[in-house]
Amino acid sequence: MNFLDIIDATVPGRLGNVSLGLPGGKLVGLVGPNGAGKSTLLRVAAGLLPSGGSVAWNGRPLPGISALERARCAAWVPQEAHFEFGFSVRSVVAQGRYAHGDDDSGVEEALVRFGLSALAERPVNHLSGGEKERVLLARAIVTEAPLQLWDEPLAPLDPRHRLEVLVLARELAQKGSTVFLSLHDLSLASSLDLLAVLSSTHLRAIGSPAEILTPELLLEVFGVRASEAPGLNFELP
Amino acid sequence: MRIFHSGKILPARSIRFALPALIILLGALVLAALATGDMPLSAGRLLAGLRREDAIAATIVWQMRLPRILSAILVGAALSSAGLVMQAYFRNSLANPGLLGVSSGGAAGAVFAIAAGWASVSLWFLPLAAVVGALAATLGVLVLARRGASTERLLLAGVALNALLGAVTSYILSRHIGLYERNAQILFWLIGGLEDRTWEHVIIALPIVAAGLLLLPLARSMDLMSLGVSEAQSLGVDVRRVRRQMLALATVLTAVATAIAGAVGFVGLVVPHILRLLVGPEHRRLVPLSLVGGAVFVLACDTAGRMAGGIQLGIITSVIGAPFFLWLLRRLP
Amino acid sequence: MMAALALAAPVEAAPAAVRVVSQTVGTDELLLALAAPGQIAALSPLARDPDFCAAADDARSYPSIAANGDAESVLKFNPTLVLCADYSRAELVTQLKRAGTRVIVFDRYFTLADSYANLRLLGHELGREERAEHIIGECENRVAALEARLLHVRPVRVIAPSTFGVIPGAQTTFQDLCEHAGAENLAWTLGHIKGHGPQPSEAMLTWPVDFIVVGGTDLESALAPFRTLPPYAFMPAIKSNRAVLLPAALLSCVSHLRVEGYEIMARELHPEAFK
Repeated sequence: MNFLDIIDATVPGRLGNVSLGLPGGKLVGLVGPNGAGKSTLLRVAAGLLPSGGSVAWNGRPLPGISALERARCAAWVPQEAHFEFGFSVRSVVAQGRYAHGDDDSGVEEALVRFGLSALAERPVNHLSGGEKERVLLARAIVTEAPLQLWDEPLAPLDPRHRLEVLVLARELAQKGSTVFLSLHDLSLASSLDLLAVLSSTHLRAIGSPAEILTPELLLEVFGVRASEAPGLNFELP
Repeated sequence: MRIFHSGKILPARSIRFALPALIILLGALVLAALATGDMPLSAGRLLAGLRREDAIAATIVWQMRLPRILSAILVGAALSSAGLVMQAYFRNSLANPGLLGVSSGGAAGAVFAIAAGWASVSLWFLPLAAVVGALAATLGVLVLARRGASTERLLLAGVALNALLGAVTSYILSRHIGLYERNAQILFWLIGGLEDRTWEHVIIALPIVAAGLLLLPLARSMDLMSLGVSEAQSLGVDVRRVRRQMLALATVLTAVATAIAGAVGFVGLVVPHILRLLVGPEHRRLVPLSLVGGAVFVLACDTAGRMAGGIQLGIITSVIGAPFFLWLLRRLP
Repeated sequence: MMAALALAAPVEAAPAAVRVVSQTVGTDELLLALAAPGQIAALSPLARDPDFCAAADDARSYPSIAANGDAESVLKFNPTLVLCADYSRAELVTQLKRAGTRVIVFDRYFTLADSYANLRLLGHELGREERAEHIIGECENRVAALEARLLHVRPVRVIAPSTFGVIPGAQTTFQDLCEHAGAENLAWTLGHIKGHGPQPSEAMLTWPVDFIVVGGTDLESALAPFRTLPPYAFMPAIKSNRAVLLPAALLSCVSHLRVEGYEIMARELHPEAFK
């Protein structure tokens, strides 16, 4: 039983006939040039955007699942978050527990995990881009949803925090969750289990990074040549 | 005024005293308002009036001052909480209850009733015409914006309808320039005031109590709605239902408040904004505080106007509103 | 025919104990004409303004209620009777009734006959019926005398201009003035305007206006705003100063004092009839 099944998702002008299935316990990347439809696909997967086809979580079609239960099944991190009001970091993270009756379970741990303890009482609209992103991720973790859908979570983060997020995502996958995240930095692709490539609103390929990232595909989809030049490899100490 | 790093002005341990403090302040204002009026009544006569032992004092206290005080409380609670809801709905701390045409619809209905002479026939007609106008205007906005209306569509439809209704009101005014007295009545209503409110007005305003109570369970959802529709939905809020409820409650609150006090401005903008600065953005605190805080604000303004010799409520709230905006300007980077 | 709505409990006290507050200018004029000393408690906020009240001079010795005041500001004068009009605020009228005060709301005041009926009604309330009849008799005499003088005159063609784009046609106090002063209100006969309607600025230039009727205390200052305002600026009547000046209050008077207006206007328009 796949955690996520998308069949024939079509959003006029933004997504064309995309079908894919993601099993549980996998760390899956979504790549593609700007405008390919990555954010749109993640929204469709999260049930936030109606599409021509069908979306199912663990075999259950979305329309049959209530709003609260959906929140317990899948968590979504938007590409950009605009905070009009100054909720504290802690209260934003705690909002992830809304679907669990607003209990506090896991909130402190998430704050520690993402290095937000010192910022816990700060108003979230006073944070930098990277700090806000970590708040959104902490909120997503706190929902304990087995399907995690993250839209460009790594982009605003510095190298250390990027690695920490990937490590966390790997832990979640090992515990049985599926993390589906879009990213631009192809050099991180090797740490992922699966890679889905979108090009001009269509799904071009899906498979392991080694299979997918051939020079032909890179040229065709991204318009770049790649070579294995010596470069910097980052690791957590 | 220190702004603590949490973004609130009040330290955390004081926040839970905010509501009791406001309630006590409201009680004090009620007493002050009871003692204020053109007829000088000593404390003894006031008491006698309350106990209905002194006929004239009883009439003044029970038929004039009490209905006016209750009207002020209900109108203040309604406008302030409606403003709070609109700010959460539109995710903008400058949103006000009149955005979707409710106030201008109420104004058009009332002005029409005054010009047609219905207002002189019975004192039910004017508030009822205002409510009908207000509800019709909101319905108009929803129809204009179409089903599943996004925030932007609603805002634009509201702007359009406000303009149209303003034109209707101006047209009616222009047809009655020669009738000085009728114009004076229309202007009185457009400025907004609580002179001569009766128990009928209090009865008409009772839905405010129900609507205010219905807001309390929505407070938590309003926190999430203020993040954005998609975010709220992904966190488990039934956004279509909640948005409908927020809009319906804000409309009823504003329509009824406008019907009994005319087009009073700034309450829905100033009160929630100040409260949010003091205690933070959590709506479980802000909803009850807005209800009581709005009542305090309007009762204080109305009583101050009466002490100053009879200045209408709408003028006092505008006088406070203008420097408030200037102060906001200074706080912005 | 009863010309007003009388409400609430009937008066039991003798006439001398009647204390009256008048809430509108029209009822000020009635009250000042009829009341015995001590019967007037307070007058309307505009009572002393000669631009609105034709009896402004007499009003000076009485207090006025506060402008836009509420019921308490009326009740503090301890009235037994309050006089309102149908355009008074409904809430105010209701509150006064509920305080147990007798309230009379006047809703017919357009014609001279209405004014006489109002005089009789108020006279009865104040116990001054004789005075009412006396005033009515005097007015009737003056009107009859005026009619006699104007029997064979040719009506003079007039308009009453305003600075805000509206002129009075039929069914206005100005029309009433014209009918009794030997004048033809071109706004009605040529413009077919009813009530106070928007002025047909272009068509008006073709109207054969004999005289302009303005209100104020000084003819030149009353005419001044119209000298530069279209279409009046282009009218021969303005350029040749063919204007009649009436006290402003008489141009919109709804009480019996309008007879004074009839006479002034008649004299100005038909001086030959008064030799």
